[in-house]
Amino acid sequence: MAGPVKDREAFQRLSFLYQAAHCVLSQNPENQALARFYCHTEKTIAKRLVLRQDPSVKRTLCRSCSSLLIPGLTCTQRQRRRKGQRWTVQTCLTCQRSQRFLNDPKHLLWGDRPEAQLENQADINPSEPLPNIADLPKENIQTQALNTSE
Amino acid sequence: MKAAIYHAFSHKEAKDHDVQELGSQRAEAFVRAFLKQSIPHMSQEDCESHLQRKAVILEYFTRLKPRPRPKKKSKGLSAKQRRDMRLFDIKPEQQRYSLFLPLHELWKQYIRDLCNGLKPDTQPQMIQAKLLKADLHGAIISVTKSKCPSYVGVTGILLQETKHVFKIITREDHLKVIPKLNCVFTIEIDDFISYIYGSKFQLRASERSAKKFKAKGSIDL
Repeated sequence: MAGPVKDREAFQRLSFLYQAAHCVLSQNPENQALARFYCHTEKTIAKRLVLRQDPSVKRTLCRSCSSLLIPGLTCTQRQRRRKGQRWTVQTCLTCQRSQRFLNDPKHLLWGDRPEAQLENQADINPSEPLPNIADLPKENIQTQALNTSE
Repeated sequence: MKAAIYHAFSHKEAKDHDVQELGSQRAEAFVRAFLKQSIPHMSQEDCESHLQRKAVILEYFTRLKPRPRPKKKSKGLSAKQRRDMRLFDIKPEQQRYSLFLPLHELWKQYIRDLCNGLKPDTQPQMIQAKLLKADLHGAIISVTKSKCPSYVGVTGILLQETKHVFKIITREDHLKVIPKLNCVFTIEIDDFISYIYGSKFQLRASERSAKKFKAKGSIDL
């Protein structure tokens, strides 16, 4: 079971606003203004409280006008080839801002990598200090002195 | 040396320029004598190698092309641009109460989750503390007290909350813009009734999440 999350209520609020934007658009696809308002509020809260959102959420929000980007409804999505690489180009239909994402099946975001998880990160233990000479018997002291001189 | 430094006039050139033709040997002897007289400190071999040496241009100046300026990353729109573009204005044809009932259901679910189920034995102070930080978009809100009597009794789903006003859609599909100042609002969630004093609530929805509310102060219109 996961431990207590810091700013849990704030994250719940962000989640609600994101769902509310989707809910409003699903009811009436023409009602983009309200969805945009909810997404803008969500972005402002995240910025004010310095909360890191998941990249999958951030990619569905326009960075300029805060529109909820749904391909075919509020944005267009095109596949482009450049320098031997394939890119997904997403263009917001409100402000015409475009974003490019690399189409690489091998690419993993840092958050998705196993080493990003705290439990998988190996703790490097500091080298153990030498035992105190005063606590050692005389025989041990002699052998230690021999080892160090070598 | 002859090929590198000079060449003798041809018969035609000498005739055109009215120059006396010298033999090749005499001409070469004259050039050598002239060079020795001009550069006395250099030997003949050094002089010849110096004259035959090719000049190497070390610098080649090209016309500087105007560098393309790096594109400025377009930041978000300003508040003035948002107002001009009417980004957050709800169109009249979308102002229908029935469209926002699913939003209200979603809000109720969110509040229950936030307050851990809203059990009857839950302390009201805890719910109120959570509501101060909660999002109110989608709540059914009603005006209970106001200095302006025409606002009293207005009930509907809260669509937008700004710094100074609540935008509420009523059952009659009217979008009412009600100022927070000098108004008391009521929110009812599963038999819990909570009062919002608008005068103390004059904050943006985003600012309220970081604001610490103080208990002291007079509560009045």
